[in-house]
Amino acid sequence: AMFADGSAGSVDVGSLWRRDRSARCEAKSCQTGPIATAEAAVQAGRKREAGVQTEQGCPGLPAPGSLQEGPTDAAHLLSFLQRVEDTVIKELSKNCRSHAFDGFEVNWTDQSETVLCLHTLSYPEAQHRKLQVTGVSWNATGAVIACSYGRLDDGDWSTEKSYVCTWNLDRRGLNPQRPDLVVDAPSSVMCLAFHPSKPSLIAGGLFSGEVVVWDTSRTEDPLISRTGMTDDTHTDPVYQQVNWLPDGKHRNHFHLLSTSTDGKILVWREERDGRLVLAEGFALVAQQIPRSIRLRKPAWGEAAVGVTSLSFSHFDPRVFVVGVEGGFALKCSTAAGTEAPLRPGCSLPLRAPAELAFSPHGGPVYSVSCSPFHRQVLGKHRASEMFFLSRNLFLSCGTDGHVHLHSMLQAQPLVSVQLSKNYLFCVRWSPVRPLVFAAASGEGKDTCLCFKGEVQLFDFEKSAQKAALSIKQAPGESPVYCLEFNIKQPQLLAAGDATGAVHVWQLSSDFTEQGPREMKHLEQLASEVTD
Amino acid sequence: AEVEETLKRIQAHKGVVGTIVVNAEGIPIRTTLDNSTTVQYAGLLHQLTMKARSTVRDIDPQNDLTFLRIRSKKHEIMVAPDKEYLLIVIQNPCE
Repeated sequence: AMFADGSAGSVDVGSLWRRDRSARCEAKSCQTGPIATAEAAVQAGRKREAGVQTEQGCPGLPAPGSLQEGPTDAAHLLSFLQRVEDTVIKELSKNCRSHAFDGFEVNWTDQSETVLCLHTLSYPEAQHRKLQVTGVSWNATGAVIACSYGRLDDGDWSTEKSYVCTWNLDRRGLNPQRPDLVVDAPSSVMCLAFHPSKPSLIAGGLFSGEVVVWDTSRTEDPLISRTGMTDDTHTDPVYQQVNWLPDGKHRNHFHLLSTSTDGKILVWREERDGRLVLAEGFALVAQQIPRSIRLRKPAWGEAAVGVTSLSFSHFDPRVFVVGVEGGFALKCSTAAGTEAPLRPGCSLPLRAPAELAFSPHGGPVYSVSCSPFHRQVLGKHRASEMFFLSRNLFLSCGTDGHVHLHSMLQAQPLVSVQLSKNYLFCVRWSPVRPLVFAAASGEGKDTCLCFKGEVQLFDFEKSAQKAALSIKQAPGESPVYCLEFNIKQPQLLAAGDATGAVHVWQLSSDFTEQGPREMKHLEQLASEVTD
Repeated sequence: AEVEETLKRIQAHKGVVGTIVVNAEGIPIRTTLDNSTTVQYAGLLHQLTMKARSTVRDIDPQNDLTFLRIRSKKHEIMVAPDKEYLLIVIQNPCE
């Protein structure tokens, strides 16, 4: 028999009666919080119009040298001057011959004699992945330090993510292993820079050639602008340098400048939709380098000259110095007019900015830094004109372990110091002492008897040949890749190394207080220009 | 004029960085420095001179301020006061 008896289970269907449904309901209640009320009264007062207007030339402040007073006042002024002239001249002469204050110095602050490591900051997850610190930057208020993680020893293309971490050093509960903010980046971040006046904006240059801007005050997504991968962006990693530039037209707006080993120096403008758009650009090509030095002829057509670092002059906003892979520095100007050979796909014509080539190092130049102190000769042609003659000094360092001090007026260096046999990755002037600079050294070919991984502080006042102070960054021998002085608290120096840690050093008072004759010494150094 | 000659003589003295003449209200009327520096020096030193003068006269009402010198790490500021004017000279001590 094919069919047999069987039984199936019973099936339930839920009841739709309202009574049953309400059995599955729950009672809930809610109540708004108490509404605060306050009494306030406002009354419009009476008003009256009044106007004030300043005039074009403030009568109390004439241009230097011009006569301002009427005849009667001139007579009073003359009699006053005749009365005091002798006394003043006597005091001036006495002062010149006086030895009363020789060697007399006053200490207004406590002197600290030693260099301390205040903090050792790191992000353990980045350290697990063996990422290195590629850039450090202090923010506009000097309280927050940010570091970018990436890899500097990788030769080939990499798409691994990396991080940008910030720590607020003024916070009480500072945990050096836990950054206050960690921002994920789509590829290795090679350099970063805080905005000079907005304390929460950071710009970063990526291994992919992009430039991005993060806003650390936004918690959901800090990324606010990026260049994207257009035809305009760099084709090589943005090593070493991202800078904020003040916009010539609008005082409070800043442009971003990025350099890369593809030879382009690009200036980006922020658009509202979160894109960075190319505002202007420069390209360095071997043909257009001024021939004040002998260069090896490039093997093929127009070889791009890879830019590794850039520094703007503090006093002439159009002048900047660029360090290149070929081992020399170039003085450039944003006002240059000649055009560089056209690149395919570029939306704006790029210009060739180089004006003067300085004498080369023995290897690629990794860092340049313009001095924030300079010599200004003030003079008057006519009563209404003043001219400035500034001789900017800058430093350049490279893989040959030498630091060259150049004046922008001549190709030969003023002073050449061999700091170490290792590569020098970064050099920075001190923001307070005109004769002091710091250099970060790292790996080298000569492995015996050399200390790798040091921060060296050099003081021209003490010695023109060797470093005043060498700080060994970490046990072991990992190179130090980047360092930055804190402009607001000049005794702090941050240095990032290949172990993924950032050390914040507090310098002793000799490195933070300007001596009475330092500017003069600097001027003497600068005036050793051979004519 | 003779006023200019006198000021030029003072300015030409060894080590002098700048010379400013300020009137009784603290407004600079002659200067060899740039505008912003001049305004800063004039305002601050005028106040300081008034304070120094009142200090001297409070201690001894028969006394009065004749000259004020401020020595700093980088230079020396000299102020010659008067009823109507103030002469400020900034000098780099010669080495």
